Amino acid sequence: MSSLIEHVVIVGGGTAGWLSACVLAARQPDLSITLVEAPDIATIGVGEGTWPTMRETLSTIGIPEAEFLRECDASFKQGSRFDGWVNGGAGDSYLHPYSMPPSGDMRDLLAAWRANDQGMPFAAAMTAQTAICDQSLAPRHPSMPDYAGTVNYGYHLDAGKFAQLLTKHATGRLGVTHIAAKVTGIVAGEHNDIAAIELSDGLTVTGDLFIDCTGQAALLIGGHFGVDWIDRSGVSFNDRALAVQVPTLHDSMIASQTIGTAHRAGWIWDIALPTRRGIGCVYSGQFMSDAEADAVLRDYVAAKVPGTDLAALAPRRLSFRTGYRDKFWQNNCVAIGLSAGFIEPLEASAIVLIELSLRALADNFPASRAAMDIHAPRFNALFQYRWERIVDFLKLHYVLSRREEPYWQAQRDPATIPARLAEQLTLWRDQPPSTWDFPQVDEVFSAASQQYVLYGMSPPQLRVPTQAAVAASKQLAEVSERARSLVAALPTNRTYLSALEAQAA
Amino acid sequence: MSNHQILNPADHGDLRIHVGPGAAFGDKVMACLAVPTEFRRLATDYPILFRFDPEQRSFSALALMGFEPDENLFLDGAIWHASAKPMALAIQPFLVGRSRDPDAPAQVHIDVDHPRIAHNGQGVRVFDDTGRPTPYLEQAVAMLGELDEGYQTSGDFFGALDRYELLEPFSLDVPGVDGGEHRLVGYHMIDEDKLRALDSASVGELHAAGHLMPLFMALASLGNLAKLARRRAARNHG
Repeated sequence: MSSLIEHVVIVGGGTAGWLSACVLAARQPDLSITLVEAPDIATIGVGEGTWPTMRETLSTIGIPEAEFLRECDASFKQGSRFDGWVNGGAGDSYLHPYSMPPSGDMRDLLAAWRANDQGMPFAAAMTAQTAICDQSLAPRHPSMPDYAGTVNYGYHLDAGKFAQLLTKHATGRLGVTHIAAKVTGIVAGEHNDIAAIELSDGLTVTGDLFIDCTGQAALLIGGHFGVDWIDRSGVSFNDRALAVQVPTLHDSMIASQTIGTAHRAGWIWDIALPTRRGIGCVYSGQFMSDAEADAVLRDYVAAKVPGTDLAALAPRRLSFRTGYRDKFWQNNCVAIGLSAGFIEPLEASAIVLIELSLRALADNFPASRAAMDIHAPRFNALFQYRWERIVDFLKLHYVLSRREEPYWQAQRDPATIPARLAEQLTLWRDQPPSTWDFPQVDEVFSAASQQYVLYGMSPPQLRVPTQAAVAASKQLAEVSERARSLVAALPTNRTYLSALEAQAA
Repeated sequence: MSNHQILNPADHGDLRIHVGPGAAFGDKVMACLAVPTEFRRLATDYPILFRFDPEQRSFSALALMGFEPDENLFLDGAIWHASAKPMALAIQPFLVGRSRDPDAPAQVHIDVDHPRIAHNGQGVRVFDDTGRPTPYLEQAVAMLGELDEGYQTSGDFFGALDRYELLEPFSLDVPGVDGGEHRLVGYHMIDEDKLRALDSASVGELHAAGHLMPLFMALASLGNLAKLARRRAARNHG
């Protein structure tokens, strides 16, 4: 077969579907792209935190940053803060910022940090971003070019509005065809490839490549191809969430990072947008009932957003199964988004995996059907590796905890710790996480991320060098000088976003 | 209008300053006072000219940025087309304050009505939350010190220029915006012929006093006049 790949059919809208449409249309302008979306399906709307990768994605698809911020009620995200994860005591908090530690040997930097230790947290010593986050400051000046920052950043956004913006952009500016109809049947072709899909409005849409963005339903990759599901709930226990949106005052501070606060059987996310806080209680049904989780959520809202009418809160209940597909690319179908897999929202891996999938697909877009059989196994191996590294990294947050509740003890049960992570934990007692542990070009979580969590949680068994090199001490002094300068110069998130709003009015 | 106050964290703890270039911030000026200690830095971009102040009965130096009032050819929106601003412009809205006692140390004053004072939450803070000066203020204070010192010592320099008659009046015609000629008048520049004609004792004396270097820098800076005229032509016809 040497038939050319000219027509891509994306099944499903939402963040995954519309990002796929925009990225493929922008990067492969010769393709004809159709997106089929059931008119009555609401987006899940939990993926509301992005990675810094989103800046390149938005810039690639041609959306100006100010337009994106305004239309999606978005704010800046500079990392994640973890409160109560070590022991739940007062002052138990650490940051995983997006900016990297200074370059150089982490052993020297660690020694300099320890030698200079006046109770300064690891992240505060390693990057000026920590001071910026502490004061709810924006990562950039309004006068800078789009998508440039003085520190690394991504976004918090309203997922529903984001899908709407992408829809408008894809159909209005990028020439994507939008069909609002339900898929009623799949027409198989040669070698069980998908030849076409049949729709509720009577249409049949043929295509050369199909993207499955149907979420947990996984109509194509699961329904048609029956690709196996690799269950990882034995490592990652959380399987439920209760989500609410709490309106905030127009002059309240907008936090620069996602705040994840541990509770006795899971954790609570808190994502600040200009007009609301998205707050959700993630928990394991095995260790906590829905009613208990509801109470935990309400207690948090009462404490953190005073003045909220608790009686009016109607949390939305979500349940999910943790795992991923044995294959993401099967025949002429690629699964992107929740159809490919899901793991709890800690560290916001959902949207970045969509972006990484699209980058891999667009960089290696198959010119012909024959090329797909070469690309598919490569793609599958790469994303299996990435999913496993995400599973490992999220588990790291739990295994370093010293909390005593049954849920937390169960999280530390060696039987639930993946072998590769267990090995790394042994090595990291004596040497910092490095590119020797994470050798791929585009690791989802770099060695720096692992360092922020490891030294942020600082388990007592770590052996940290104590002889501080002069050069490393100088690097850390530069970090703190830079922090002073940036904290003085950057506007607050609120100031930045209000000015943007005022400009548009 | 201006309203000078002694800078202090109690009154100015939340103060923010617009630090970028901009016409709205008072940058749209044709010339700015320059001190001899900064001639070397300025000579790469600006023509350095001299003006006689009949009230003070002395000369002062200016970095020229345009040929008529409110014309600044280095200012282009939010961009400043030169590597350094003259210090007297760069330190705004701060000023050196002196009490009546001439021996008392200089104070840092601020003009709280200056257009560089931000009222919209943007701009750079002067003090941090603990009342400690920010790196921006530290830098501004250092520059104020340098400017003050340069200003204090400049009297000798201008005195020497006068004594050796090293300045000559000059005027320059540049094409006007409307097609005619615009004449720049009232300025002086280094008289190259007189400078060449100095005897070695005089040169030695000027050198010993540290005046020779700024003299030659000011002379060399005159090459920037033609560049500035070209900037003006490009702006008016570009």
